[in-house]
Amino acid sequence: MKKVLKFVMLFVAVLTITAVFAACTNDTTAPTVPVNIETATGSAETAPATGGTEMENEPVDQAGFRIALVTDYGGVDDGSFNQGAWEGIVAFAEANAISHQFIQPLAESDAEYINAIEMAVNSGAEIIVAPGFLFTTALYVAQGMFPDVNFVLLDASPEDENGNVHVGDNVVTVFYAEEQSGFLAGYAAVMEGYRGLGFMGGMPMPPVTRFGYGFLEGADYAASVLGLNQGDVTVNFTYVMTFAPSPEIAAQAGAWFASGTEVIFAAAGGAGFSVFNAAEAAGASAIGVDIDQAPVSHTIITSALKEISVSVYDILTEHFNGNFPGGQSVIFDASVYGVSLAMDTARFQNFTREQYEAVFARLVSGEIVPTAQSDISISDLNLALVVVNEM
Amino acid sequence: MYVIEMKNITKRFSGIVANDDVSLGLNKGEIHALLGENGAGKSTLMSILFGLYKAEEGSIFKDGKSVVIAGPGHATALGIGMVHQHFKLVHNFTVLENIVLGVETTKHGVLQMKTARQKVTELSQKYALEVDLDKEIRHITVGMQQRVEILKMLYRNNEILIFDEPTAVLTPQEIDALIKTMRNMAAEGKSILFITHKLDEIKQAADRCSVLRKGKMIGTVDVAATSKEELSEMMVGRKLSLTLEKQPSKLGETILQVKNLTQKGDGEKNKLTNISFEVKAGEILCIAGIEGNGQTDLVNAITGLSAVTSGEIFISDTNITTAKIRKRGEHGMAHIPEDRHKHGLILDYNLAYNAILQDYHKQPFQKLGFLQKSKIKQYAQKLVDNFDIRSGDGIDSVVRSMSGGNQQKIILARETSASPKLLIAVQPTRGLDVGAIEYIHKQLLAQRDAGKAILLVSLELEEVMNISDRVLVMYEGEIVANVNPQKITFKELGLYMSGAKRENPSKSVEKAVAV
Amino acid sequence: MNKFLKGNGLSILSSVSVVFAGMLLGFIVLFISNAAQAPAAIATILTFGFSSLRNFGDVLYFATPIIMTGLSVGFAYKTGLFNIGASGQFTFGAFVAIYIVINFDFLNPSLRIFVALLAATLAGAIWAAIPGLLKAYRNVHEVISCIMTNYIGMLLVNYLILNTIFDPMRASSQRIPTSTHMPMWGLDYIFADATRASPLNASIFVAVFSALLMYVILERTTFGYELKACGLNKDAAKYAGINENRSIIFSMMISGALAGLGGGMHFLSAAGRTMSVADVLANEGFMGISVSLLGLNHPIGIIFSGVLIAYLQRGGFNIQPLGFAQEIIEIAIAVIIYFCAFVLLVRTQLGNIIAKIYRTISKSEVKKNAT
Repeated sequence: MKKVLKFVMLFVAVLTITAVFAACTNDTTAPTVPVNIETATGSAETAPATGGTEMENEPVDQAGFRIALVTDYGGVDDGSFNQGAWEGIVAFAEANAISHQFIQPLAESDAEYINAIEMAVNSGAEIIVAPGFLFTTALYVAQGMFPDVNFVLLDASPEDENGNVHVGDNVVTVFYAEEQSGFLAGYAAVMEGYRGLGFMGGMPMPPVTRFGYGFLEGADYAASVLGLNQGDVTVNFTYVMTFAPSPEIAAQAGAWFASGTEVIFAAAGGAGFSVFNAAEAAGASAIGVDIDQAPVSHTIITSALKEISVSVYDILTEHFNGNFPGGQSVIFDASVYGVSLAMDTARFQNFTREQYEAVFARLVSGEIVPTAQSDISISDLNLALVVVNEM
Repeated sequence: MYVIEMKNITKRFSGIVANDDVSLGLNKGEIHALLGENGAGKSTLMSILFGLYKAEEGSIFKDGKSVVIAGPGHATALGIGMVHQHFKLVHNFTVLENIVLGVETTKHGVLQMKTARQKVTELSQKYALEVDLDKEIRHITVGMQQRVEILKMLYRNNEILIFDEPTAVLTPQEIDALIKTMRNMAAEGKSILFITHKLDEIKQAADRCSVLRKGKMIGTVDVAATSKEELSEMMVGRKLSLTLEKQPSKLGETILQVKNLTQKGDGEKNKLTNISFEVKAGEILCIAGIEGNGQTDLVNAITGLSAVTSGEIFISDTNITTAKIRKRGEHGMAHIPEDRHKHGLILDYNLAYNAILQDYHKQPFQKLGFLQKSKIKQYAQKLVDNFDIRSGDGIDSVVRSMSGGNQQKIILARETSASPKLLIAVQPTRGLDVGAIEYIHKQLLAQRDAGKAILLVSLELEEVMNISDRVLVMYEGEIVANVNPQKITFKELGLYMSGAKRENPSKSVEKAVAV
Repeated sequence: MNKFLKGNGLSILSSVSVVFAGMLLGFIVLFISNAAQAPAAIATILTFGFSSLRNFGDVLYFATPIIMTGLSVGFAYKTGLFNIGASGQFTFGAFVAIYIVINFDFLNPSLRIFVALLAATLAGAIWAAIPGLLKAYRNVHEVISCIMTNYIGMLLVNYLILNTIFDPMRASSQRIPTSTHMPMWGLDYIFADATRASPLNASIFVAVFSALLMYVILERTTFGYELKACGLNKDAAKYAGINENRSIIFSMMISGALAGLGGGMHFLSAAGRTMSVADVLANEGFMGISVSLLGLNHPIGIIFSGVLIAYLQRGGFNIQPLGFAQEIIEIAIAVIIYFCAFVLLVRTQLGNIIAKIYRTISKSEVKKNAT
């Protein structure tokens, strides 16, 4: 009887091993499996030089794709960079019938971002969009590893672990003139008639700070246009130190509304939802950020936009036209409609589209140049009329 | 024709045969005792009759007609009622509410308690079952709770009444009253099944007796024509000496001294009030009393499981009132705890690990903090051999899988092997079969004769009377009597236990020294 | 053979069979989502981890932190405590380690790593001592207090990062100096391919060593005897003179130390992971529960179940190009892991079946011998 039991054990063991190895060998024979999986092991023999092997897989069958978005840890519905970039890709790809796919990394680390990029490359991607500052180091590595693939890095530059920046010939970095977008928001708020303003930024990071400084300068400019006195317009200015909603933020916003603030510009990602809630409770107003947030709350009078999808669409167009601006840093500002204010869904009573277009034109023409520096303090901004309470 | 007949009942629990081809017939108007040791299958058989279990084989006949009893509700409908060993009462309902629970009379969904009250009052007068209908269950005595259970059956017009070990929680006086009630009910035409393992009660109460042993029906006898010895032989399967051979005690020096011990309770009542006594070497001092009168608290205070409010405890001349549990052990105290599963054993450790539960930190069982497995196994094997502890896998057996008697033997072996000066044994025979009880009693006496002081806490009056040299009776946290078991009757002891009678406590201390 | 089948053999057999059943179910999930690609997807899940040494290194790298939290949960479980606070302890250990390697530049790098890991271990232990103390002296159930310390730990660490080692450019903790990455001990030569090496480092050895240490403590020492006794029966332990309060606190502290060390090691790796300031509990702590249960709370079992779960995750990640939504992948993997939690049930059932077969066989053999 011992033999029988031994046989049972053996059978299970064999079953395990065969299943695993049968599946392994499948890789080389079954066409449905992406061809690329074994390139990692096979590259030692076939690779003419480091990192060059992937191009051999270029004509990928139904499983592959040509445009890829590697998301940061959130999904493509994050209401921010991932979503904007993905919308741009989808719009372009569907218009031109090009295969596209997004890849979500397994974890928030450089190694995993690189793994995700590699996976996209192995699946045939020829241009990869990486949205946001989290990809700086991963892209620094990837641009050298995959010289034949083009990369679009939004809002950041590739840099190594010691902070050395190098933008490869296959990389375009895209920046946005947040200060112009914030300027439009601040200008519109004061022109609309608000005198008590607030700014809640997520964290003191350059893009957020540029939104905030632009907002202050826009308000200041509107005050001078309207001939107000110094102190007529006050702005509460703070960073809530998170991009996630929390009751504390709603409480702080509520306190601001209770003590005279009429409108808060929330440049804080998900934390903005707390501000909108507070505005609803107080019957006050708010200004959204990045994408048009008007559907989120009826308190949102407008949103300070970064046209992420427009920028991605434009760069994809250039890539497929053979004009990829490799090695360059592109700034999307008012002149290319890279930033704007959401006017179609705006809930202004007084501020008109004519007024908006007039000031927008002055930004385009360079007549007005909001401060783009983010490493200075508010006191360096030369605000003439607006009084800022930094908190 | 039988009112109830169970034919060829077989019931198995995961491989163990609890009832093996058991047949039983109950006459109308008789008290039929069901005798057997713990685990003989009495409760299983009755649970099948009450519809709690389903038999795999066999059939049940009511008044000659075959019935399949689907559940307790169905059993009630058939006129079968049961008083369980652990009462099934709702503690924050009144007596009356408990009696009508499940068969309430309602009108348009509103309770009609008036008619119920009338009927219950009649019943309680008819059978002399005195209850206070408006008191909540948690405020009445155990004896009255049992009367409530009986009234519940009567209220439902049950004709067949099952009593599962009804006397375990009662004083001798209450037992007498219960037996009288049972006889009354039988005279009224009710048929009673009476589960017990106490031979005296059978002789007093029952007409016929069926004996179960290891799941098998040994036979049904006429009680009047059968001696106690014959009954016990049927139950155990061999001859037993019902009385213990006992040498007169040779008292030595005082080992345990308790002085004015008081322990505050959660409410206003003390758990223990001003308790003083001594135990000498070579003496078995027994603490008797109805469950819940402070015995457990007293033992916990002496063994260190709980702290005292005031008073002192000495072993020999050492004051151990605030000593740690382990220190008390080092001063010669050993403890066979009341609840062997809760305190005495770690059921998921094996036999060997349980054998060193008190000594694992000592040489040679550990060296530099590492357990010395070979030494532990040697020692455990020695205990197994000396105490004849039986188990499936020897010293590697997980204790949970062992029988109650053998589990208790592990504790006994462990606690006596350290050769303590004082052995505190709390209900050491609870739930054990007759053979195991006999063994434990002999061991206790052997320890006494070896000059140990033994403090025995027991709820079994027979045990109290048989093996102790002196008896203290506890009632509501106080010692109310200090008596010599040879000079007192069961009845008198019962009066002390129920609080109906008490000695002058200060006198009892003097007497303790004198005995 | 019989004994083997009763003990370890049965455990192995039951684990293997649940993994198989889970994979079948996972395959069905994938099949419903995308029938055409499902075979390729399940094949990828099953094979990717072994498809190259670097990929396998990645599997081990991913397994390390969840082995550590798995050991943390398992150790507590063996002593009767349910530590679901591993997440907070992991986070706390991670923060302390990062803080030290960034700020203690008066120490040379290797000494700094050592001090950082020691401090991470201690931080985890201290953080776990809180629920331990509450349980011992105030009888607060450790599950409740662990949940609370998870959140407090996460928020406190966010606050501490913001005020000490915050990198505003990344909204996370600062990068640690490359000199204080965990030593590789040559693993980067083994688990590498032509393009690069896996970030697998010495911490895998620490994890294995921790498992062995846990085994020795629990099975071979009087200390372990006491801890387990308290876990199995608190009252009996007290009766035996064991200080059960002390045991509870020590159990929690050791458990927390394992999680804290895991957090420290994970964030000192060369993978370039920083602690983002977000109101999200560290997932590794909760993965530890699955890992521990799947490994039957046995230290060696935990190592294997940690590797298995990491293997599945890695494989699952790689079927994204086949067009599977991340959610579907997570469901498929969760189904496999969830199924693995049935291992105990299966073990009992399988034990009965084997016992039955065994009985039948011996009966027939007796008959054969008789004839």
